[in-house]
Amino acid sequence: MLSSLILLPLIGAGIVGFFPGNIAGEKLRGVALTITAGILLVTLWLAAQFDLTNSGFQFQEYLPWIPQIGLSYKLGTDGLSFPLVALSSLLTGIIIFSARINVERLSLKYALIFLVNAGVVGALLAQNLLLFIIFYELILIPLYLLIAIWGGEKREYAAMKFLIYTAVSGILILAGFLGMTWLSHSNSFDYDRISTQDLPLITQLILLSLLVIGFGIKIPLVPLHTWLPDAYVEASPAVAILLGGMVAKLGTYGLIRFCLQLFPETWALVAPGLSIIGVFSVMYGALAAISQKDLKRMVAYSSIGHMGYIVVAAAALTPLGLLGAVSQMVSHGLILAILFYLVGIIETKVGTRDLDILNGLMNPLRGLPLTSALLILGGMASSGIPGMAGFIAEFLVFQGSYSVFPWQTLLCIFASGLTAVYFVILLNRTCFGKLDNTTAYYPQVKWNEQAPAILLAIIIIFLGIQPTWLVRWTEPTTDAIVAMISTNTDRQIALNYQETNAFASDTGKMPVLRKMNLQ
Amino acid sequence: MTTTLQKTKLPPSQHEFSEVIHRLEAGGAMIPDTPENLMQIIGIWKAYAVPMDFYWRDLLYIGERVFLEPFPFFKYFLPQEYLDLHNHYAGDDADLRVWRGEATAHPELLEFMEKGETGKIPKLLHHLWHDRVNMEFAEACMRAMLWHRNMYAPVNQFDPYLDSDEYKANADKAIKAYFKGNPLMLGIHKLFPEMFLEQCRQASYYSNLGLFWEVMAPVFFEVSDLYDEGKITTVPEAMNFLVNGIFAIAGRPIYHHAYIRGECYEIIPKSKGFTWLYEAALPYVEAVFYRTAPFRGTKSYNAQANEVPSEQKDFHYGVLYADKFPVGTAGIPPTLLMQDMLHFLPPYLKEFYAQRCRGEDDVLNQIAVTFQRSMYCVTSAVFQALRTALLYPLDDTNPKHLKANRAFFEAQIDRFCRPEYGMRDAARLRNIQTADYR
Repeated sequence: MLSSLILLPLIGAGIVGFFPGNIAGEKLRGVALTITAGILLVTLWLAAQFDLTNSGFQFQEYLPWIPQIGLSYKLGTDGLSFPLVALSSLLTGIIIFSARINVERLSLKYALIFLVNAGVVGALLAQNLLLFIIFYELILIPLYLLIAIWGGEKREYAAMKFLIYTAVSGILILAGFLGMTWLSHSNSFDYDRISTQDLPLITQLILLSLLVIGFGIKIPLVPLHTWLPDAYVEASPAVAILLGGMVAKLGTYGLIRFCLQLFPETWALVAPGLSIIGVFSVMYGALAAISQKDLKRMVAYSSIGHMGYIVVAAAALTPLGLLGAVSQMVSHGLILAILFYLVGIIETKVGTRDLDILNGLMNPLRGLPLTSALLILGGMASSGIPGMAGFIAEFLVFQGSYSVFPWQTLLCIFASGLTAVYFVILLNRTCFGKLDNTTAYYPQVKWNEQAPAILLAIIIIFLGIQPTWLVRWTEPTTDAIVAMISTNTDRQIALNYQETNAFASDTGKMPVLRKMNLQ
Repeated sequence: MTTTLQKTKLPPSQHEFSEVIHRLEAGGAMIPDTPENLMQIIGIWKAYAVPMDFYWRDLLYIGERVFLEPFPFFKYFLPQEYLDLHNHYAGDDADLRVWRGEATAHPELLEFMEKGETGKIPKLLHHLWHDRVNMEFAEACMRAMLWHRNMYAPVNQFDPYLDSDEYKANADKAIKAYFKGNPLMLGIHKLFPEMFLEQCRQASYYSNLGLFWEVMAPVFFEVSDLYDEGKITTVPEAMNFLVNGIFAIAGRPIYHHAYIRGECYEIIPKSKGFTWLYEAALPYVEAVFYRTAPFRGTKSYNAQANEVPSEQKDFHYGVLYADKFPVGTAGIPPTLLMQDMLHFLPPYLKEFYAQRCRGEDDVLNQIAVTFQRSMYCVTSAVFQALRTALLYPLDDTNPKHLKANRAFFEAQIDRFCRPEYGMRDAARLRNIQTADYR
């Protein structure tokens, strides 16, 4: 069944990509939408079948592909990857629905979007390191083309920068994977056959560093982030959602899946440093966003900040923190998608993203009232206002990492205050104030143009009020991951025990412990 | 023809708005004479006249019958008597027949009161569902006049009279009659004699504004009918119809009669000789077109911010200065009127709006801008009427007289150029010169 999530978009890319050139845009969109509907249906079916008590891999598929080099077509999903797969399916649907159809080479655009979708989902589902690399690299060229063909003014520069950075990321990760496999004398790249435990510590550290830098480029972590503002800003809104909502998640997913899970002992060594880098990203993203004058650039830097939380939470390695990390990936994907989507609407209708020019969009008759209202909701969700998904995720992150990294967590909390600062600046300049009477003859926003944003807003609020639906997929998996890892220091063991204990008694999963508490 | 004549007589004006001044000197209006402008102006006058027909009737009803009612819950529910009240300038028994139509309430108004936007339901439900004429707007205009008292002194004698002993005695009599048999209210009146007196002054202004609009409604109806018949083809013709109307009715008496238990109390008797032009029209133009009160949604009343002028003469929040783009937003009072006019747009104007900007979605803004254009035309009519009354004809041959006329026009236009409190930027005279301000 998981294969269909990869095959459907691949087939879709084939169908739309090779459609005769003279087909009407509407028809092409219909075909593309039918395919995404298929993808969504499969995702829903998987969600219905998903075993919430199973902490391991589900829906596994195995095909020996090229055993000589250890490449096998092995798929599986667990609580770590499934929410991200579902997020990717949803966002692909939204991207296809909202991508402008009056552009040149529409069929190519749809095909590339499908290819990226196939790549992201494939990478998330891959149970074989080489297979992961194949999907990871598959994303590269379509995204390069998506930015370079349909992007903004400086698109070529941005696309090239993105391409080089991500290619380097791919090389580093590949090097890390090869090193892990060959040095541990494994004859297969299958995920469950890799064990780095017996390697000397220094080798582990080198391999882990390769992976951390490789995935750090994708996340991105701060010194490695400079491709992001250019790529996000120059990409069209749909592609920006693709980049920020789906592709960036591969970085944090890789960090947890390959760095944390495959180097459990060494992870604890690098974790403090990593948490500092994460905090640095968070602070840097927030401060850089405050200084921006461009709507999209502000949202792009906010993305750097929010991805930093995930790194801090993953470094803490507590069940709650890890759960928070995955929740933050999902909620950030949703929130970034709604923000980029609305920024896209504003740019199309008003014709500028300049915060010094934008004004008064809340005006109910002449402005973009619903867009502005949703933008305020998105901004509040992003800055962690309770009642929306962002708060749930951030609170889990803070709660989970405070016991391990108190200072880093406090700085993260401070930075989430700064998030509120730049979103208030953004909302104040954009939505409030008064319209300029000489320019304010903006076209109307039609209902179907707003529908995706409304859908995202509903999901964000629903997950904020009923967060069980955000965490229930992930909880058993993250608990199991932490439980499996024996940590180095006694202090950490004690802390982990405490966390698991408290958490278990809260959820009532371990009746024995609960009884003990009651007595 | 007249334009060339004028230009030869006086050297061109050096004023910033020299174009507008030359147009006024040639007998034109502040707003350019284009067929599109004419169509908008006339159409909006028609749409304005129908709610105005309700406003004047209800203002008189409140001033005369509701009077000092401490709980006027139903003051917007016009009794049949006031719907049937004959307008003095329409119908067969008119004092001066301005409009050739019926003297009783306008049929479109009656239809709207009956059906509204929702359908045929009881009046109270129409009211509670807010499917009604926004009478609050008329009251806001009345309060603007009440608060900006003593405008156009000394020609305006109405305000000084409100403070005279004679008025106080008349009012006292009416107050005591109104609260007869109500010891509580009479006791309050004894304790705080100024309280009901001020309320009575407000009631007098209800009456004043009601009497003013009783004239304007038939004027606007008639000008619309003439336009439909093809008898008005240019903006100056429309403006001149107003000028003539102003002079024909200038002497109409302004008074305040309260009817208490079937008896008429003359609080301001007709015999005081207050007239429509000086006691109602000119103060109205000053209060509503120029001054009013700062919109809560656009200006800060913070005393330290010094945004709102300390002198009432510097108030510049009337329709000639108003920003019409935020209409429909919180804190923008004209929204009420635009909502009212929306129900009575003539079909040609509806079609015009549907093809521009956001069509039906921002029609309130489009109405508001059109209304602003039309009010520049009405203000032009006031300029021309004042010039006729106080100065010289436009075709005067004496250059000194023409210079005096020009000085008058320039002084009037200067009000739109004052730099204090951003008045200059607020004035929309510059905007209405082009058609792309919508």
